[in-house]
Amino acid sequence: MNALTQFVTASNILAADAAAPPSVGWGAMTMLILFIAGSMCIGVFANMTTQKGGFMKGFFLGNRGLGAWALALTATIQSGGTFMGFPSLVYSHGWIVALWIGSYMVVPITGFGILGKRLAQLSRRTGAITVPDLFRTRFNSPALGFTCTLFILLYLSFMMFAQFKAGAIVIQLAWPNGGELSLSEDAVSVSETRYHIGLIVFAVTVVGYTLMGGFLAAVWTDLFQSLLMFVGVVILLVASLNAAGGLENATRVSVANTGPGFATGPGFIADGSSHEFLPLSLAISFFVVWIWGGVGAPAGLVRLMASQNTSVIRRSIYLLSIYNMGIYLPLIVICVCGRALIPSLDGKTDQIIPRMAIMTTSHWPGGSFVAGLILAAPFGAVMATVSSYLVVLSSGVVRDIYQRFIAPNADRNQLRRAAWGTMIVAGLISVAVSWYPVTYLQAFIVFSTSGAAATFLVPALMACYWRRATTAGIFASMISGAMTVLVLYLIGILNLLPHQAIGAATGFRPWYLWGFDPLIWGILVSGTSGILISLMTMPMDEELISRMFDEQPEAP
Amino acid sequence: MTRKTDPLVYSSIREAILVTGIWLAAAIWSISVCYTMGYHRATDDLKLVLGFPDWVFWGIVIPWSTCTVVSIVFGLIFVRDGDLGKDIEDADDLGLGG
Repeated sequence: MNALTQFVTASNILAADAAAPPSVGWGAMTMLILFIAGSMCIGVFANMTTQKGGFMKGFFLGNRGLGAWALALTATIQSGGTFMGFPSLVYSHGWIVALWIGSYMVVPITGFGILGKRLAQLSRRTGAITVPDLFRTRFNSPALGFTCTLFILLYLSFMMFAQFKAGAIVIQLAWPNGGELSLSEDAVSVSETRYHIGLIVFAVTVVGYTLMGGFLAAVWTDLFQSLLMFVGVVILLVASLNAAGGLENATRVSVANTGPGFATGPGFIADGSSHEFLPLSLAISFFVVWIWGGVGAPAGLVRLMASQNTSVIRRSIYLLSIYNMGIYLPLIVICVCGRALIPSLDGKTDQIIPRMAIMTTSHWPGGSFVAGLILAAPFGAVMATVSSYLVVLSSGVVRDIYQRFIAPNADRNQLRRAAWGTMIVAGLISVAVSWYPVTYLQAFIVFSTSGAAATFLVPALMACYWRRATTAGIFASMISGAMTVLVLYLIGILNLLPHQAIGAATGFRPWYLWGFDPLIWGILVSGTSGILISLMTMPMDEELISRMFDEQPEAP
Repeated sequence: MTRKTDPLVYSSIREAILVTGIWLAAAIWSISVCYTMGYHRATDDLKLVLGFPDWVFWGIVIPWSTCTVVSIVFGLIFVRDGDLGKDIEDADDLGLGG
């Protein structure tokens, strides 16, 4: 007998247990309400702190005062994807997703070690508050700054849409005694109503506290949720392993529930087709996408610009390394246990973490409150991400459009009103777009990550490290990188070329040229064009370059 | 007058090169181990190490642990502190690029 089949009986027992929808008590909703109230308090406190000094640097950059914990736990890429999209992929495709996410082992060292110190220095030398500010001053080109703003608005909008859906799902699942874990048809219409209520509550909360506290509110909430997330993951790891009878049993039962592909590459495919989730070319691609996508992400670049000093950046590297180790591998283990305990989620694979939180703690004394604590973690991750995107979006509109083109002499109150207006409009658009949610949250995030990295990575490296880089070269690099990714996504989405049976199964997928992710091609094209065009055009003014690269004389 | 390049620029470049090397080494290790040990493999001969499929243990868990140690050493010992310079006083104006 195959060693795996002896666990089928155990699998059936666990599956029968999971089929009965556990009741979600008031504890989960209570914890979420406490979390929302805590975030609002943070917003108010951040508001008081940013009253000192100018509005722009306080509201959009926290007066460049980020410490090591705040920078380490907030500058990288935990988001709704960490708790919704990524677990969904583990549940759907199995252990191969460990390789898909494997490059996160070097995210802390690359995220802070490649651009950190130099970007923080350059932002001070240019007086930049935003990423477009930095490019505008470094290359003395308002047109370049405006182009950056447009790109940031495009990519961050995509990221925001994905996050709003994730936030609404958490509230939907935490609904007291709502039976949301039932997969019956009767539950669908009620479930939709709760999703919409969740969406509105989420939007009001996150826009509300960001309006009050700006950048610092986003960062502090992010720090708060990151610590909560760590606690939540540890509790859920213990609960999941306990419920599944250990990791070895969970692996064997999940393979029995699915097929051999769940424990081997290129990953399990539910319909048994020849589709490959992670062929070698995509495995290589994702080691590039997550790393260089993180280095080039506009929201991350802003956090680096806000860091207090180089010691903070240095300490952030090891703090985040330890933290990441404790988050991502345990999440994979939890989802493998999830596949053993819940054999099918009927298309709702995004919900595996919230469902596991509620299911594995339902028999505990006060289990509902523990589930609430665990649920608050993804909710907080999503809120913090949306909050930081709102700040970056708003800073782009206020600093780079309103202040430069509409009201150059705007006073503090006018700037504040412009920032608030932008955030409210962005929130309304996100709610409208998320009203009928898209499937596979992660695909949106991957597109935005690839697009932003292809646009900003090479230009940021050139701005920081290459004296010979020119305005025309940066323009060429940005536009060619962005267009490469955009064209490859459009070819895939519009089915202009024959279907490729690789990657995540979603309608929102790119064309993988020779099997590689569009970001690889985007970076190659961006780098080549940036270097060639820079070399073909006149060097920048030597005085400007010296101000950016050379030792500066002491002020008298 | 010719000025000297800021020392922070040099130390940043040196660290960026080393970090890129670490990323490359981690990528080669993980991808090659996972691909050779874990792809298109019959489950009958699949071994579990601490509950992980063996290719995940050797291709992800071990390098991840190694990278965590390397990152701690890198942050504690290798990265050189430096002066980031002074910020402009009033950022409500349009800064140097205005």
